[in-house]
Amino acid sequence: MLHLRRVAQKNLTRASKSKIALRGLATAANEPYDVVIIGGGPGGYVAAIKAAQLGLRTACVEKRGSLGGTCLNVGCIPSKAMLNNSHLYHQSQHDFARRGIDATVSLNLPKMLEAKDNAVLGLTKGVEHLFRQNKVDYIKGAASFVSPNRLSISPIADAPEGTPTEVEAKNIIIATGSEVAPFPGGAITIDEKQIVSSTGALELQEVPQKLVVIGGGVIGLELGSVWSRLGAEVTVVEFLGAIGGAGIDEEIAKQFQRTLQKQGLKFKLNTKVLSAEKKDGKVYLEAEPAKGGNSETIEADVVLVAVGRRPYTEGLNIEAAGVELDNKGRVVIDDQFTTSQKHIKCIGDVTFGPMLAHKAEEEGIAAAEFIKSGHGHVNYGAIPSVVYTHPEVAWVGQTEQDLKAAGVKYSIGKFSFTANSRAKTNMETEGFVKILTEKETDRIVGAHIIGPNAGEMIAEGVLALEYGASAEDIARTCHAHPTLSEAFKEAAMAAYSKPIHM
Amino acid sequence: MHPSLRCCSARVHTPLIKFLGKRSYPSTPDAPHPHPAAPAELKQRFSEFLAKMNASSSSESAAKASSGPAVYSEFWEAPPKFWNYKTRHIEEAEIEAIMTGGASSY
Repeated sequence: MLHLRRVAQKNLTRASKSKIALRGLATAANEPYDVVIIGGGPGGYVAAIKAAQLGLRTACVEKRGSLGGTCLNVGCIPSKAMLNNSHLYHQSQHDFARRGIDATVSLNLPKMLEAKDNAVLGLTKGVEHLFRQNKVDYIKGAASFVSPNRLSISPIADAPEGTPTEVEAKNIIIATGSEVAPFPGGAITIDEKQIVSSTGALELQEVPQKLVVIGGGVIGLELGSVWSRLGAEVTVVEFLGAIGGAGIDEEIAKQFQRTLQKQGLKFKLNTKVLSAEKKDGKVYLEAEPAKGGNSETIEADVVLVAVGRRPYTEGLNIEAAGVELDNKGRVVIDDQFTTSQKHIKCIGDVTFGPMLAHKAEEEGIAAAEFIKSGHGHVNYGAIPSVVYTHPEVAWVGQTEQDLKAAGVKYSIGKFSFTANSRAKTNMETEGFVKILTEKETDRIVGAHIIGPNAGEMIAEGVLALEYGASAEDIARTCHAHPTLSEAFKEAAMAAYSKPIHM
Repeated sequence: MHPSLRCCSARVHTPLIKFLGKRSYPSTPDAPHPHPAAPAELKQRFSEFLAKMNASSSSESAAKASSGPAVYSEFWEAPPKFWNYKTRHIEEAEIEAIMTGGASSY
């Protein structure tokens, strides 16, 4: 008996030093995660990586089957691949000759679509690699709240064996993004073949003869440009009196429209689309002036509905979490991204602010930092917007209209690319840089660019706004010659004094 | 002709951008405020939202606040020594107590 007791005690001592002693207690596998992020888009995957980097045990649940969300899979990335390659094709057709290049080029659309798909695949797999590198658990499945701390996971088709059916988390970040908004009133149904959303517009298997784009915002103009360059006759129908979407400076919007018109795009502004009818392989849109009047019929082979996006919370069973939504379906949060449940945060398109991937990324980092340390930072006054047409359009901060409305006395500094040496050598002189400063302090309050490389150049404006720079600060900063960025410096000079080269 | 006058009149530019040194954070967490992009209506009733949020936080803070024995609704709210195997060590005396049905404690 005594011997038995000693053996048993020895075994238990050994076991106590190993994990066997933990029978009945929590183990690493069933311990709750420090953070679980629902959604692997630009907000979600960045939050996951940051949280893991901060030492938090992190998992990211994604139901699409690939990481990257709308942006990488069916948004920013595939559209930029198509924009870049369609631009090259268009240049070969309309621009090479004046540069002294004689070439016969033809379009291979399947190959162009394949190149786009390869870019998407490479980047989404890259995010998976980053997850492995940072020890983020990637759970392939659809998450649904069972309780405020517990999520049930419905595994998706390619989920690996052993995918958990439930996870528990001390903190949860909702980053489920947005989806294409249907046509208001339900008068037009998207079939993704003839009447397409942005997703279908990136998958068209042939160039439509006539493409009608409903909505003159960023998505409509970018995808309209793609198919116009590839040979489609594109008409943009916009309810408002200007194109470019929310936040664009009026002067820039006017120049932008003129530029696109020169490229062959047609615009019907102040026009309301009423309905669409599919007949004999065509789509017939019924439209009337926004203020009322006689209606007209617009014929199209393909119609792109680009009237915006809406927050996506489907299948989340958000009621079980006790999280509050507003009347637009957005998750209500405070400035620390905390929802009405203290341990649940929310970032990106599914909550307040502009639906932009880079805004979601900033929020992802800040949300992880708030969880870890109680501090984080996103400056909503310095979030840039870019339209990746050719030329590109980009802006940050306030517009002239904003400043007028707020009664702020301001100065304008403008510099045209026609006077920029690099633009001249590149034979791309269309557009200008416009810098707005507070008259009294010379502080930069807005930067607006239409022209080559505007999307890259706007980073200088964002930095200026973030640091609270004056126009003179920028003007006295040496810019390399010859570069397009010299136009930014000259616009800053124009804002506080006079430009040199104009 | 008047170099000193020219020198005096020349304005020295003081950049608005200044290096503030390495960023540091206060030891206490930031206080919550309305989200800057929230609709005005929601900003107005932020205190109501905050009350709801604080009510949700619950058990952990309640356990910390009470002076009596702590009660936890989730096991991870308890100190890690009770559930984290990395910090869970069974002492010889505890093993002895288990093996003797508690008799060794007397």
